[in-house]
Amino acid sequence: MNDVKEPLIRLVNITKRFKELTAVKGVSLDVYPGEKLVIIGPSGSGKSTLLRAINLLEEVDEGNIRFEGREVGYVTRLGKRHLDKPHNICTLRAEIGMVFQHFHLFPHMTVLGNVMEGPLTVQKKGADESRQIAVDMLDKVGLSDKKDVYPATLSGGQKQRVAIARALAMKPKLMLFDEPTSALDPELVGEVFDTIHTLADEGMTMLIVTHHMGFARELADRVIFMEAGSFLAEGEPKEFFSKGQENERIRGFLNRLL
Amino acid sequence: MKYFVSRALAALLFLSMLTGICQAEVNYDALSRKASDLMAMGDLPGAVEILKQIPAPERNADGSAFVASRMQMARIYASLEEADNALAANQEILALYPDNSEARNFAAALKQQQMPRWRSVLADCRRFLPSLLKGATMTLLLVFCTMLVSPLGGLLIALGRISTLKPVSALCWFIIWFFRGTPLLLQLFFIYYGLPAFGVTLPPLTAAVIGLGLNYSAYLGEIIRGAIQSIDHGQMEAAKAIGMTYGQAMRRVIIPQTYKRLMPPVGNEFIALIKDTALVSTIAMVELMRSADQLFNTYFNITALALAACIYLLLTSIFTFMFEKIEYRAGIYERR
Ligand SMILES: Nc1ncnc2c1ncn2[C@@H]1O[C@H](COP(=O)(O)OP(=O)(O)OP(=O)(O)O)[C@@H](O)[C@H]1O
Ligand SMILES: [Mg+2]
Repeated sequence: MNDVKEPLIRLVNITKRFKELTAVKGVSLDVYPGEKLVIIGPSGSGKSTLLRAINLLEEVDEGNIRFEGREVGYVTRLGKRHLDKPHNICTLRAEIGMVFQHFHLFPHMTVLGNVMEGPLTVQKKGADESRQIAVDMLDKVGLSDKKDVYPATLSGGQKQRVAIARALAMKPKLMLFDEPTSALDPELVGEVFDTIHTLADEGMTMLIVTHHMGFARELADRVIFMEAGSFLAEGEPKEFFSKGQENERIRGFLNRLL
Repeated sequence: MKYFVSRALAALLFLSMLTGICQAEVNYDALSRKASDLMAMGDLPGAVEILKQIPAPERNADGSAFVASRMQMARIYASLEEADNALAANQEILALYPDNSEARNFAAALKQQQMPRWRSVLADCRRFLPSLLKGATMTLLLVFCTMLVSPLGGLLIALGRISTLKPVSALCWFIIWFFRGTPLLLQLFFIYYGLPAFGVTLPPLTAAVIGLGLNYSAYLGEIIRGAIQSIDHGQMEAAKAIGMTYGQAMRRVIIPQTYKRLMPPVGNEFIALIKDTALVSTIAMVELMRSADQLFNTYFNITALALAACIYLLLTSIFTFMFEKIEYRAGIYERR
């Protein structure tokens, strides 16, 4: 991937504190277009916080974020750091899709309504165009037959696939997945992974937090192990999982998962 | 000489007439006083006998003593349940003074008392209903105006309360604190009777709508704020994650989800509102409560109050039913 000079997103020295607790400690990271990056690590190590910092759901205390070479998210006024104008933040978020552990579908909208909401309200496309996009995305995740039902009637796996379709409808350049299968019954995990795989094959750039090592090994170009707010190790999956056994902390973590 | 005698006679005649009249008045006075004494002692038939001695007035003479005596007789007979005699006494007045409204009303009431109970109640209803319905129209107008104003005001107050802008949030906190913390009656008095001291004079309807509107906005504000904050935080995050602004997220995602949760408490508030409109009768507005009160004070007839209660119940029942329907519709997406 290093033949592409410009990273899609570059994090420099990101630090996030919650009162005394420092959840993310000076993390730097480059993600190149088309790259599939998996972040693993124990609970409370700051994985979600880092992911949320990328699309500015979390306002960080230090560090810079560059998206396609532009400095995004923060401005300095009178020597003080501020979040950028809401408009610019929304523009950035519209280009980054996010999938949550607990789906967060809009329960008062049908499946189709959920998926077309972004194009319709945020991108202000017409109803017909938005509907067409939504239908295409639902096709992609294999749920076009469910388009007129409300989310309450779906299984967990179907809900998550709708959530993925909702994010994709915005035609994002980067997808963030925060433990997309952790809330699912084991037999439903597969369908969601398959959907993510399809995306990966289409060349989508993605950052995935997961506890499924098999999935990480299979999908990732690069695996990062995070602990206590910093990156402890990273590498290509093969190398990572073999070498990882040498690091006591990583070994402990992997063994606990298996 | 002859001239002098005739003059003297005339004067004498005049004087005797004068004293005669005075005598007569004094006598009537004494008679009525005696009658009241007898009544006070419980001797009603005796009182009637005395009152009967007060004769009908001569043509063009003052008949007030006579009218008073016959009214008194009619009342005594009525209380003795001798309706025919009471009517006869009444008739004596009406024969001389057909326009005497006191006698007429009394006669009408007597005739009604002779009807079966249900028919007299029905007749009361027919008599009271037009003005009660007029009052109810005003009550409904007030309710609808407040129902238009207060959800908007409540939404603004709720959004202000959860705003990160400190002054806005503080102002909205103050509004809620003030309007929930003082009696509505006092607020209405202040707006209608108090504001003129500051050079603002409002017609009663405007004052009532402002008072009710502010009060209910404050209550609904707290309810709406609670409902907004009860929506899972993930909803706001998901909305933001697809690029929505705060406003878009509120309008498209958060607020629509509050509808179902809002219906039961808001329904409660609006039912309370129907009854709270009765308070505006104190600021010169004639609505249902005031109409009922006026009728009751004119006729001392409890049917007016009972009828008003029925109208209030009818209105609140319609509202209860309506809000149950709306709640069901608003939550349709939660059913599997
Ligand atoms: N809003 C918050 N306020 C205070 N502390 C927080 C907040 N969000 C996260 N934290 C803390 O920051 C730390 C990192 O949290 P984070 O959710 O990023 O961990 P994680 O790696 O995603 O864990 P998990 O695997 O359980 O999801 C935790 O100790 C958590 O308690
Ligand atoms: Mg997490």
